[in-house]
Amino acid sequence: MSVASDSPVHSSSSDDLAAFLENELDSDSDSDSSSESFPSEEAEDVANHRSKRRKLEYVETIVEEKIQGVTFSGEFSKASSSKLPCEHPGSFGELCFKCGRSLKEEETGVSFGYMHKGMKLTEEEVAKMRDSDNKVLQRKRKLCLVLDLDHTLLNSTVLRDLRPEEEYLKSLTHSLQDGSGGNLFMLEFMNMMTKLRPFVHTFLKEASELFEMYIYTMGDRPYAEQMAKLLDPKREYFGDRVISRDDGTVRHQKSLDVVLGKESSVLILDDTEHAWPNYKDNLILIERYHFFASSCRQFDHRFQSLSQLESDESEPDGILASILKVLKQTHSLYYEGGGGEDANGRDVRLLLKQVRKEILKGCKVVFSRVFPTKSRPEDHPLWRTAEGLGATCATEVDASVTHVVAMDVGTEKVRWAIREKKFVVHRGWIDAANYLWKRHPEENFGLEQLKKQGTGTEEKTTNDVTLEK
Amino acid sequence: MFFHIVLERNMQLHPRFFGRNLRENLVSKLMKDVEGTCSGRHGFVVAITGIETIGKGLIRDGTGFVTFPVKYQCVVFRPFKGEILEAVVTLVNKMGFFAEAGPVQIFVSKHLIPDDMEFQTGDMPNYTTSDGSVKIQKECEVRLKIIGTRVDATEIFCVGTIKDDFLGVINDPAAS
Repeated sequence: MSVASDSPVHSSSSDDLAAFLENELDSDSDSDSSSESFPSEEAEDVANHRSKRRKLEYVETIVEEKIQGVTFSGEFSKASSSKLPCEHPGSFGELCFKCGRSLKEEETGVSFGYMHKGMKLTEEEVAKMRDSDNKVLQRKRKLCLVLDLDHTLLNSTVLRDLRPEEEYLKSLTHSLQDGSGGNLFMLEFMNMMTKLRPFVHTFLKEASELFEMYIYTMGDRPYAEQMAKLLDPKREYFGDRVISRDDGTVRHQKSLDVVLGKESSVLILDDTEHAWPNYKDNLILIERYHFFASSCRQFDHRFQSLSQLESDESEPDGILASILKVLKQTHSLYYEGGGGEDANGRDVRLLLKQVRKEILKGCKVVFSRVFPTKSRPEDHPLWRTAEGLGATCATEVDASVTHVVAMDVGTEKVRWAIREKKFVVHRGWIDAANYLWKRHPEENFGLEQLKKQGTGTEEKTTNDVTLEK
Repeated sequence: MFFHIVLERNMQLHPRFFGRNLRENLVSKLMKDVEGTCSGRHGFVVAITGIETIGKGLIRDGTGFVTFPVKYQCVVFRPFKGEILEAVVTLVNKMGFFAEAGPVQIFVSKHLIPDDMEFQTGDMPNYTTSDGSVKIQKECEVRLKIIGTRVDATEIFCVGTIKDDFLGVINDPAAS
């Protein structure tokens, strides 16, 4: 069966008509925009570029002008201003949306497919929009917040990856029509099951008052839209600000290129640090949410998933609650003292660092058998993390030291700490503070716990901490 | 702009449709195939109004399908540069707004919205004059002028302006 022969055959008469009309309407619109009369030299110049018919008309008007001896300075200035070339601020379907010209051959800037199909904007235009947006946001005392979906706000699994011990979940799902309040959804048409992170509804509601929120996911467009519907059934939080991997500008990376917020006022919440190589300072790293067993397997974790344990993160003091506190704190620092014009010079990246520094403020930490002896301790990631959290680090013990971080009980520093009644913790204490943005009770991180767990990985320890509560 | 024109198309028909109702089957298949489609040359085919002629069928070897050349009258809609159209606003965002005139979607950028209209966010995003007398939002009817069209094989892109005399909102169902 051939399809080629199915194509329509065009009658030539209608083609001619269409072409004629196109010309007609074109020349009409031209005469609207450029003014009717020019001084003679200018007019001749322009007339050369026009069709014969137009040329004739111009010659006629020039003759008239000369006879009447009238000056046309007013019209001249208007005409010359309309002749400025269009800077093509952006395009819709490869048509410049300012002058209507086809821009097929010219390069046309950043694609904004998530706003509308076929939409592109140049860098300058984006910068201009960011500026004007920023003013509006400042007036409303808001900042921008970019949210990741998977492992940050929710966890999804393909239905066939459900373990037998997870089958009980199927009876607990909420209907999609119901919309509000549900946490667990079955999306049969996508063969997926999605669990929203506890506290996410409150989180979005409260954050939406302080932030203009975007979704930015590495999932594809239909998935992103479906998840946005689950999180925001009334479409009051995200609007059209849902960005999927199809809309990104760099492959396998996320970038603020397509986010209409100034870098100094955008916060990012994501579980994957390397997705944002150029925006580490804007990023709030969140501990991964593994609800389904398949998700644990994906990341090669050996522990049981929350669904297998028939448990979940705690609602009132889970991680999203602590992150919300951090967001509120950063926001209030940004708009401290009235905000408005003052806030112009402020930068969330610096404020975020400031907030982090409060977490372990006043702690002086000494490490024992944590770093290899050959390397400089200042270069170790854990040392840097601790400093980023506001703790002072030292290599030798003295009276001002408050904490000894060790991996083994038998060291001299640990014995000293026990004698002097200082805190002895394992490195999980710093990791937990790093991920959960708060100082944890030291008792939970004693070296005895470490022994009980055997050789636990750091992920394991932090995860256990969240489970305990 | 609408046109009433005659077009021709080669229709392939499965042998099971042969018989008394061959003609009806052919016409209903034609309607199904053609109405609502867009061709680069003629624009959108809005409706088939009549059949001029149905030529002699040619049996295809091997398949038994028969190809009929059909000439039909139809109403087509094609936007032109410079044309004034009335359209319904479908989407408003900070870059401008989209409006539909039948099957054609037209984008009006904020550069081509009068300067005194400002964008307002919210659950009903809109462009409003400073005194609040004129508001462009979803469902509004606007009169606009097309400044550019690009015609693909299957799609028509249009950009328009309302920055000119006698253009802009003509009716707002939400306000009345």
